Amino acid sequence: MTYIAKKCGICFQPPSIILIYKEDDKDKIRQRIMPIRNFSKFSDCIRAAEQLKNNPRHKAYLEGVSLRQLKKFYGLLKGHLGGQSLAESLEQIRQEETIDPEEDMNKLDDKELAKRKSIMDELFEKNRKKKDDPDFIYNVEVEFPQDEQLESCGWDVESGEEI
Amino acid sequence: MAGPAAAVAEQARDEASAAAGAEETVKIICLGDSAVGKSKLLERFLLDGFRPQQLSTFALTLYQHRARVDGKPVLVDFWDTAGQERFQSMHASYYHKAHACIMVFDVQRKVTYKNLSSWYKELREFRPEIPCIVVANKIDADMKVTQKSFNFARKFNLPFYFVSAADGTNVVKLFNDAIKLAVAYKQNSGDFMDEVMRELESFDLQNKSEDLSETEESCPEEKPPSA
Repeated sequence: MTYIAKKCGICFQPPSIILIYKEDDKDKIRQRIMPIRNFSKFSDCIRAAEQLKNNPRHKAYLEGVSLRQLKKFYGLLKGHLGGQSLAESLEQIRQEETIDPEEDMNKLDDKELAKRKSIMDELFEKNRKKKDDPDFIYNVEVEFPQDEQLESCGWDVESGEEI
Repeated sequence: MAGPAAAVAEQARDEASAAAGAEETVKIICLGDSAVGKSKLLERFLLDGFRPQQLSTFALTLYQHRARVDGKPVLVDFWDTAGQERFQSMHASYYHKAHACIMVFDVQRKVTYKNLSSWYKELREFRPEIPCIVVANKIDADMKVTQKSFNFARKFNLPFYFVSAADGTNVVKLFNDAIKLAVAYKQNSGDFMDEVMRELESFDLQNKSEDLSETEESCPEEKPPSA
């Protein structure tokens, strides 16, 4: 049986992940409460999310919920258990999920670089035309003339001009 | 004075080069900061036709590709950095005998554009003359950038391409043009070091032929390979 996830959220008290879903061929909207056990402010959010997603009792229901979203819920709970306000936790998660355009990624270690890459991969995957897509074209050529009158990208001024 | 020994040596050399593909071989290197999409561009160009060779000891990935330029087969070695760029500079062997360079930045991250100058400077220390293409990647993230001017390429009189490894815009054109430039460079290079390298290579081959002919002569009972 397939379940279609409609909404997913977290409840801090008692700690649980709540899924609103419907069964594939029925109209009735149902709610599933998945209690969170053995999770503290020191726990690993990715592991917790993976465990829940692979839990044999919940697996089928969570098919349509991304690991990233579950990880985010655990992140919010972790912040809450550590005494952060919801706004603070949300801000922290937002920062972890966005790329700082000024950051020099050459200076990051493997783990940090992999994190940034996975954030950027999301957009890549979203915009990606795959080989098996019906509208895939191998050679896409588009001309973008670099005329003198174009507005500058703004990155050419200031330092770095000397070489 | 094409004696039988010389003929055998000649044949041996032909067979050796036939095994190696016989066609023109060019080396194209990719440069640019971490996470600008160098590997993704290569993978988009080669699709399933690539078998990258990971040389993790050297922080290097090699991709081989067979192309045709003016009807003639060309074997292309693409060199990709696999993290070596994080040392802010590449090992000299990365540049060694490269015939063209693809230099990539990410239109979403200014720092990767700024760093082009140091990549370019290092490239020119090793390869003063090879063709170099400047590539603005990830235009799918913000198409507006294609309406803006990026002066780095113009300043050094380099070809400049807006591309997207995600949706494929201009990727095939970029690599095909790079291959053409690499072949043209190899065939007409005025690069002094290249001339020297060519001299050394043909010198090597001559030596090897002589070695071979000597071996042939020293074991007369062995039949020379038939044509």
